[in-house]
Amino acid sequence: MRQFFPVEDLARDERFVQTNMAERMKDARTVNDVGSSRKSRGKSMRLTPDRHDASDGARSLMHGIMVGEIQALEGAGRTAHDFAVGDGTGDTIPFELKLDMARQAWDEARHVEISAKLSDWMGTELGQFAENTVLFEAACSNDPILRLAGVNRALEGLAIDVFTQMKEFGDLAGDPYLEFCEDWMLADEVTHVKMGSDWLRKVTEHDPDRRAKALEFQQVVDKLFSFGGARGETEESPIGLARRFRELAGFTDDEVDQISQMDHDALEERKAAVRAYRDKAGVGSVPG
Amino acid sequence: MSDVTTAETSAKITVDPDHFTFVHYEPGRIVDVVSELAGLLGVGNPVHVVVDETTPAAKLSAEVDGTSSDARITVHAESGALDDFQRLTHFGVDNARQSLGRMLLRARDRMRADFADAPADLELSLQQNAAWDAYCAGRLARAGVPMSEQRWRYNYRNRFGFSDAVDADFDRLWAADDLGWHDLGAG
Repeated sequence: MRQFFPVEDLARDERFVQTNMAERMKDARTVNDVGSSRKSRGKSMRLTPDRHDASDGARSLMHGIMVGEIQALEGAGRTAHDFAVGDGTGDTIPFELKLDMARQAWDEARHVEISAKLSDWMGTELGQFAENTVLFEAACSNDPILRLAGVNRALEGLAIDVFTQMKEFGDLAGDPYLEFCEDWMLADEVTHVKMGSDWLRKVTEHDPDRRAKALEFQQVVDKLFSFGGARGETEESPIGLARRFRELAGFTDDEVDQISQMDHDALEERKAAVRAYRDKAGVGSVPG
Repeated sequence: MSDVTTAETSAKITVDPDHFTFVHYEPGRIVDVVSELAGLLGVGNPVHVVVDETTPAAKLSAEVDGTSSDARITVHAESGALDDFQRLTHFGVDNARQSLGRMLLRARDRMRADFADAPADLELSLQQNAAWDAYCAGRLARAGVPMSEQRWRYNYRNRFGFSDAVDADFDRLWAADDLGWHDLGAG
């Protein structure tokens, strides 16, 4: 079987249209208050049922979760297969790490099924929204430890935040299926992040340079997903930062603070970029 | 401002702005969709569509300045209501049909005497919006515009609760063709 599979070769049927972060960043629109535009969501962007576009927002996010689960399955499967068994140095990974990746692939396959059924329940067709392939891109590194940092720590960490938000959404809306399913998947995600945290420390125990490089890669991925402040601790971000579950997954307080600061900086960067674009376009206030 | 009287309907249809900066829309395509819908739904009034292209949110509202056949309908649409979900910032004909079709039906409803008590669109509660959307979406589906019944059922459940009784209310609204404001049952 082929090793090291590029993102361009992911198998999808004709229902799916793929996109990436570069495309997403080209969209100069924003729902954030940048001081010169009337916005329909007001100050709070948090995805809760009292937002006017709550149902469609939840549907879009659930579709994003589903395609993310497909890519997480593909990523964990690749990591289980791409590297030879060894002591973790060079291009090898310990056999027990392979077992953890196989277990994660099993979990993700279950999550794909759950998310597809939830999408159906919410009135969404598979492929209705664009699929951002950034998660699998983070799983394409040649260094297995960078994959653990990028996928298990950064992206599965984001999954903790997203599932916590969706669980709360289901709870507030009184949707029994959404709340229940998100709670169970959240438990798995905490485990996946913990596996990433544990293996990262174990494999790099005697290689501080490699550990530093992996943590740096994690920050790059975290920052990508902080794009526009989509996640953050203020009400301006649709997704909150789930501190408690991140602690359970092996993040230190300092690490969570660092992510929170990165989210805040990303939000401010996005707002500054939007202001600059609006100035350049000569858009002062909304028409009508 | 794009200003067109189309062959499909005698309605005068205008779009603001006439040039888009943040999104890849062409006013003519919006005019085409409104024209097609107006013909399909029997709306002969002049229609003015105002698009806020600076936000990807999808808030919609409609107002009509009278009850006669020449009263002007104004639709305000945030650009997310017209986007192609698979290619954001590009015009999505299906999404636009569903969004603008609902607004044309609302405007048509407002011209009826038994909708005189309906609050302005931007003053509607989330529940009132959900009930009216269900009523409009069902009629659009029967008029031939592809609509996901489950999408609107989910929205209705989010506003009224997840129960068999709520589902029965939704079914009534989805199947109805001739309701007044107070028949929507959302206060």
